[in-house]
Amino acid sequence: MLKNYLKIAFRNLTKYKFISFINLFGLTIGITCCLLILTYIVHEESYDRYNTKADRIWRVTRSFNNKEGIVSLHLGAVAPPFAPYLQNDFPDIQKITRILPNGTSAFHYEDKIFNEKDINFADNNLFSVFDVPLIKGDRTTALEQPFTMVMTEAIAKKYFGDADPINKVVRLDNQYNFRVSAIMAPLPENSHFHADILLSFNTLKDSAIYGEKGLMTNWGNNAFYTYLLFPENYPAKTLEERFPAFLDRHMAGDDGYGKGSKPSTLTRLYLQQLTDIHLHSHLDEELEQNGDSGRVTIFGAIALFILLIACINYMNLSTARSTLRAREIGIRKVSGAQRGEIITQFLTESVLISFVATLLAVVLTILTLPSINDLTGLHLSAHILQQPTIIALLVVTPIVVGILSGLYPALFLSSFQPVKVLKGLFKAGSNTVNFRKVLVVLQFAISIVLLISTAIVFQQLHYMQNAALGFDKEHILTMGYPNGLYKNYESFRTTLLQDPHVLQVTRSSRIPTGRLLDEQGASTESGDSLRPVTADIKYVAVDHDFLKTYGIPVVAGRDYSRDYSTDSTGFLLNVAATKVLGVKTPQEMVGRHFSYGGVKGRVVGIMRDFNFESMHQAILPIIFIIPSAAQAANNYGNISIKLAGSDIKASVAYVEKTWKRFLPETPFEYTFLDDRFDKLYKSEQQQGSLFTTFAGIAIFIACLGLLGLSAFSISQRIKEIGVRKVLGASTGSIVTLLSTDFLRLVAIASLIAFPIAWYAMHNWLRDFAYRISIEWWVFLGAGILAAAVALVTISIQAIKAAVANPVKALRSE
Amino acid sequence: MIDLKRISKWVNVGGKPNFILKDINLDIKEGEFVSIMGPSGSGKSSLLNIIGMLDDSSEGEYFFLGQGVHGLKEKQRSQLYKQYIGFVFQAYHLIDELTVYENIETPLIYQNIKGSERQAMVADILDRFQIVGKKDLFPTQLSGGQQQLVGIARALIGKPKLLLADEPTGNLNSRQGEEIMDLFKQLNNEGVTIIQVTHSEKNAAYGSRIINLLDGRIDNFN
Repeated sequence: MLKNYLKIAFRNLTKYKFISFINLFGLTIGITCCLLILTYIVHEESYDRYNTKADRIWRVTRSFNNKEGIVSLHLGAVAPPFAPYLQNDFPDIQKITRILPNGTSAFHYEDKIFNEKDINFADNNLFSVFDVPLIKGDRTTALEQPFTMVMTEAIAKKYFGDADPINKVVRLDNQYNFRVSAIMAPLPENSHFHADILLSFNTLKDSAIYGEKGLMTNWGNNAFYTYLLFPENYPAKTLEERFPAFLDRHMAGDDGYGKGSKPSTLTRLYLQQLTDIHLHSHLDEELEQNGDSGRVTIFGAIALFILLIACINYMNLSTARSTLRAREIGIRKVSGAQRGEIITQFLTESVLISFVATLLAVVLTILTLPSINDLTGLHLSAHILQQPTIIALLVVTPIVVGILSGLYPALFLSSFQPVKVLKGLFKAGSNTVNFRKVLVVLQFAISIVLLISTAIVFQQLHYMQNAALGFDKEHILTMGYPNGLYKNYESFRTTLLQDPHVLQVTRSSRIPTGRLLDEQGASTESGDSLRPVTADIKYVAVDHDFLKTYGIPVVAGRDYSRDYSTDSTGFLLNVAATKVLGVKTPQEMVGRHFSYGGVKGRVVGIMRDFNFESMHQAILPIIFIIPSAAQAANNYGNISIKLAGSDIKASVAYVEKTWKRFLPETPFEYTFLDDRFDKLYKSEQQQGSLFTTFAGIAIFIACLGLLGLSAFSISQRIKEIGVRKVLGASTGSIVTLLSTDFLRLVAIASLIAFPIAWYAMHNWLRDFAYRISIEWWVFLGAGILAAAVALVTISIQAIKAAVANPVKALRSE
Repeated sequence: MIDLKRISKWVNVGGKPNFILKDINLDIKEGEFVSIMGPSGSGKSSLLNIIGMLDDSSEGEYFFLGQGVHGLKEKQRSQLYKQYIGFVFQAYHLIDELTVYENIETPLIYQNIKGSERQAMVADILDRFQIVGKKDLFPTQLSGGQQQLVGIARALIGKPKLLLADEPTGNLNSRQGEEIMDLFKQLNNEGVTIIQVTHSEKNAAYGSRIINLLDGRIDNFN
C-alpha cells in the first residue's frame, strides 16, 4: 500500500514540475533556515556544558548599591579576599578557583616578542573544577608554584618551535620570568572564557605584586572571577541568604566601611550557575562578550515563521489544485478506499516532499554555514548536526512538516464525494478559496513585519554610527599604556609632538567606547563644610591634554592647563554631573570646593555632555581627575593620539618608531577610535544583516507561493479572459482585473502587520538610551514594497494570459 | 438481490422540493442483466448512484442482499460496495498517473489483499481481456475502447456480484461499443448481475430486462 502511495506521489511530483519545484524549494529553504538557527541555538545552549561538573559550578558576583538600594554596578568578578573567607565560612563548598584576567601582555623569549591577548592568572584548582585537559605536565601541581605558567600547544610552538616547552622561561612585560610547567589543550569555542596562557595565582602573593596580605584585605579590586564547586544537587542558591551576614562579619572596619557598619546595605553577593553565564549574564564586567537569550528566541521565531510560510505554500497550492486530483480521489473511493486511506495517501505525499526537502536542507545547511559564520561572526560547526538530539529532530522534521503542510489539504481532498467529482458536478468550494486568502494574508503579514523590522534596525544602526557624539572621533589612534612607559612618558609625548602630523597626545584610565565603571565617593561645598553627594558620579583619570585630544568643548570655566600647578587637584565635571549636584547653571559649579575619592580640590571647568559609552547607555555624570604622581601608575591604561589626518600612514609609522625607541620590549599595537565605535554596534550590525537575509527569504518564498497560486487561478479564468478580450478589453484592464484580488490581500496583510511590527520594534528600541523614533513612512514603504513585489509576481502570469490570443482560449473549451 | 421500496430523491430549489426520483419500487434478482433507459434528466444516473450506494435517497428503503442500506453509515456502506459492487463509467475514469496494471490493482489494495495474490489476480484478468501487452502503458496511451476495457477489468478485479455501468459505451464508436456489450453479455452468463444505464435501444437489448424512466418515475406503459 505504502509503495503504491509513494509511486503516485512521485509521479504527481514529476508531472506538475512547476508546483513541485515551488513546494520543494520553499520547504527546503524553510527547513534550512530552521536548521541553521537550530545549529546556532544548540551552540549557544551548549556553553560550558562540556565541563563534567558543569551543574555543580557557580560563579560569585557582586553588586553595589546606594543607600536607597538602587544597584549602580553589578560585576561578574569579586575582590580577592572573598574566596578564602567563603571557603572558611561555608564548608559545603568543595573547591574554589579564581581567574584574574591580565589583559594583553607582552611575552619575550630569546629574540621573540609577542603580545598575547587571553592571559589569565588562575588558581591551581582550576584544573579540578573545570575540564581543561593537559597535554604535558601534572595537573595536580601545574599552577602550584609562583611564577609558573601553562600554555596551549599553539602558543608553545610560536615561542619554542619544536623544542620541548617544559621548563622554558618566558619574560612577561619585561618584568617577571615565568617557567612553563605544563601544556594544555585550548578551551573549546563554547566556553565563556578562553585562555592561551594561564599564570599561577600564587605569583600574585609576591610582595612586589599584591602580596599575601594585599590579597586578603583589598576589598575594592573586584577583578577576580571566582568559581565555587558544590556537591551533587546542592541547593547553592540558598547560600545567598547567608551572604549579608558574611559580608558584615568580614568587611566591617575594612576599606571604607566603618567599624560596626553594615557593608551588606551597600554591597551584595550573588551566585550564578556556570551554565547560565553565557546566555543570561549581562553584568557590567564579564570575561568575554556573552550571548543573548532574547536574540536566540527572536531568531528561533523567525526561522519557524519562514517554515510556516513555506508550509502555507504547500497548503495553498495543494488545495488550489484540488480539481486536478478530484477525479482520482473519486475513483479511489469508488474502488473502495476509506477516507482514512485517502488522508494517509496525501500525507504520504507531503511527508515524502518534506523528506526530500529535509535532505536537501541538510546539504544546503552544510554549504551555507561558512557564509553564515562570516555574516554573524559566529563559529558554528556542521558537526553540531551529528548530535543525537539534532539527528532525532531531523528524523521528526519531515513528519512534522509533512503533516503540518499536508493535513489540511488531505482533510479537504478526502472529503470529496465520488458521485459529484465523477459526474462533473464538482466545483471547488468557496470556503477553501477564502481559507487560501487568509493564509496568503498571513504569509504577507509575516513578510511585512520582517521588512519593517529590518528597516528600523538599520535606521537605528545608522543613527548610532552617525549621531553627534559631542566630541571628534576622527583620526584618533588609541593604544595601551604599558607600565614601562611611566617614567619616560613626558619625553615620549614631546618626541611624538615633534612630528607636525601629531596634534595631541593624552593618557587616561578609560577611553570613549569603553564602559564607565569607576566610582568613588564625592562631596560638594555646602556653606562652610563639605556635604556628601548622594548621586553616582563616574570618574575617568585623565591628564592635561584629554579634552584637547578629543575636542570636547568647555561650557563654563576652563580646561586643564599646565600653566596652573593647582590643576593636579582640579576637577572637570560634565553638564550631567552639575545637574545631579543640583545647581541651576553649570557656571555656578566653577571654582567650588569639591572632594572626590578623598582628594580635595576645586572644580576648574564644566564640559559639554558627550557620549563616552555606546548609545545603549544614557550619558552619566562624569568627573575628570588628574591622578597624583603616586596614583598615576595604577590609573592610566590608555594612550590616545590625535593625528592631523593628512598623511595617516606616515604618522602611524612615526608613532611606531617612537614607541619602539621607548618601549623596545613591548610590541606596538593600536586601533583607531572610529573602528572601536564600529565594533560597539557589531551585534546590531549582525542582527541587521540577518534580518535582511531572513526578510528577503520570507518574502521570496511568499512570492513563490503567490506565483503558483496566481498561475493557477488565472488558468481557471482563461475562458473569462478570452471572452473579455473578444468584447474589447485591453491588456491593461485584464492585468488590473487579475491583480486587484491579490493586491487587496497584501493591503489587508499590511494592516495586520503594522501594529505587530510597531509593538515589536518599540520593545527592541527600548534597549537603547538614544534611539530613533519610529516613522510612519517606514510602514508605508514596507507595505508598498511588498505590494510591488507581489504585483510583479502576479503580472508575470497576468500579462501572459492577457496577451494570449483569445481564440485559443475559447476554442479549447 | 436489490430491493428498492418507495425510493424518492429530491433537491430543494427555492424552498420547494424538486423531485429527481419519485416513488421507485424495484426488485432485481441475482443474475439479471438490467438496462435502465430514459431521456436526459429522467433520473437514470441518480437511480444508479443510489443502487451503487454512492448517493442517498431522500426517502424510502433499500435492501441489498437482504440488508437495509438506508440506515447504514458511510463507512459501512463503503465496506459493502467495496465487497460486492464494481463500477464502470462513461468517461472510463482511469487514474492518469497509474499504469494499466496499477489501475486494475487499485481496488485490491483497498481490500488489503497481499501483494503476491494481487499480482496473480491482475495477471489473470489482463490475460482474460487480452491486454497483457498494454499493462505498462498509461491511460493516455490507449484508445477509448481499450481504456474502457481497463475500466471494466478494474471493476471486475474484486470479483463483485454486481456490475453497475453508466453509459459504458457512450464515448465509444459502434464497433468498440459492440465489443464491450458482448463482454457484458458474457460476464452476465458467468453469473455477474449487471445494471446498465444506456440511451441506445440496441445496447439495452443485450439485457434481460429494460426499465424505462420518465421524470423520475418508472414508466410501465412503454
